[in-house]
Amino acid sequence: MEKQMEQSGLWSFGTRQVVYGAIGAALYGVFSWITNVIPLPAAGNVTFRPAVAVLIFFGIAYGPWVGLIAGLVGNTLGDGLSGWGFFWNWSVGNGLMGMIPGLAMNMIRDYRSGRSIGIAIGWGALGIAIGMLFASLTEMFVGGIDLSTALVGYFTPAFIGNLVVTVILLPILMVAYAAVVSRRGR
Amino acid sequence: MLVAWKYRPRNTFIQRLDPRARLTFLACIILAVSGAQVWDFRLLLPLFILSLVLYLLARIEWRDVWRAWAFILFLVLFIVGINGLLAGRGGPTAVLQDQSAVLFRSPTLYIPLTPWSITITITVVRSFFAITQIVRMLTMAILAIPIPYTMDPSIYGVAFRRMGLPDKASFTMDLAFRFIPTLGRDFLITVDAQRARGYEVESARGGVINRLRRLAPLIVPVTMSAIVTGEEVIDALDLRAFGARPRTWYRQLHFQLRDYLFIALGVAVLATFIAIRIMGYGQFWVPEWWYNLAK
Repeated sequence: MEKQMEQSGLWSFGTRQVVYGAIGAALYGVFSWITNVIPLPAAGNVTFRPAVAVLIFFGIAYGPWVGLIAGLVGNTLGDGLSGWGFFWNWSVGNGLMGMIPGLAMNMIRDYRSGRSIGIAIGWGALGIAIGMLFASLTEMFVGGIDLSTALVGYFTPAFIGNLVVTVILLPILMVAYAAVVSRRGR
Repeated sequence: MLVAWKYRPRNTFIQRLDPRARLTFLACIILAVSGAQVWDFRLLLPLFILSLVLYLLARIEWRDVWRAWAFILFLVLFIVGINGLLAGRGGPTAVLQDQSAVLFRSPTLYIPLTPWSITITITVVRSFFAITQIVRMLTMAILAIPIPYTMDPSIYGVAFRRMGLPDKASFTMDLAFRFIPTLGRDFLITVDAQRARGYEVESARGGVINRLRRLAPLIVPVTMSAIVTGEEVIDALDLRAFGARPRTWYRQLHFQLRDYLFIALGVAVLATFIAIRIMGYGQFWVPEWWYNLAK
């Protein structure tokens, strides 16, 4: 199935990006909130946030701006809904986590093919690595932690947890999206 | 269980402030505390007291906010505080190259079957550093916690627009806030529908991977339904020529004198902290009497 969505530039910001940025942010906020209030599977100090797969999917499907907005605003909304306040560096880190997979938007042609799913997971992993690294390292200045705590205590569990969620849920979302696109014709 | 904002209208000084003034003030304090690298407790304490006063002025009920406090205190006391107390890491050079007197040293604990041993040593400098670090973190946290409880969700879009963000970006934010209750409701309807089909949401069977895969019947329908709705919203916006010219906003914001004063206070704090740092002051400080604790 050929990708039939609007073939505009990677960095264009029109009505589609406004709406899907908002929907991505709202979904990420709601799913993050659910993770915050309902315990989900965990292993050691690694927690799994299914919302991350949705964030990366929005980046892949609608481009870097949508990914950035969905992560940046969505994380802020999730923290706000949970009543946790505002942590700017984690919001920016989540924004990067959505934006970087968005750079691969034009590489995805068929959301059902193994190659496209592989590309999406690869760029998703890169986004998770950069986004979580940013958030963890800036925590050194904001929270006054040292480099090893930032890497071992913050980055590693976040990276592993988000990567596992992405590998499991992103292909399911992509295949479901392919069905929606083919049914609607756009 | 409803996805609901924590916001409630209250007749308080904090909620009468313009949201732009509050966001600007918050940004100034976060930059002053985390960016200027001022470690002097004598400078951080007045800022902490100021943040605490503003928090109390917000008059948020304890039953609403206790979970947020539990999370913040765990983070600050256990992760940041103990990290600073035991290792002094993340601190300025004075703490990292600490040669001060020992306040407490635990007996050496040998780990069985390994050559490793642990001795906890707390020094004068590191103990005061942990206190400084906790005050520093709490100063930022107690300013950030009240935001979702005291700022009307419908006002973020116009607030960011009036702070200089482009129309489309501000509208995106406004739209995201509007979508939250709808998507929350869709999620709960999906949970009920899947339960009616025999899906066990709380079932703990299976390993982590299986349990994550079992979340797909909840996440996929909500996401795809939102995407389909998105196409309809795009059509509606395009039909109204969205983005063709600058948009107007229903809510209007007007600065009052108190807002100017509040912003001026935030900017003054930031400027003072930067100036102190440039002049070479604001280094890590330990009171003399604290050293006496080791004698």
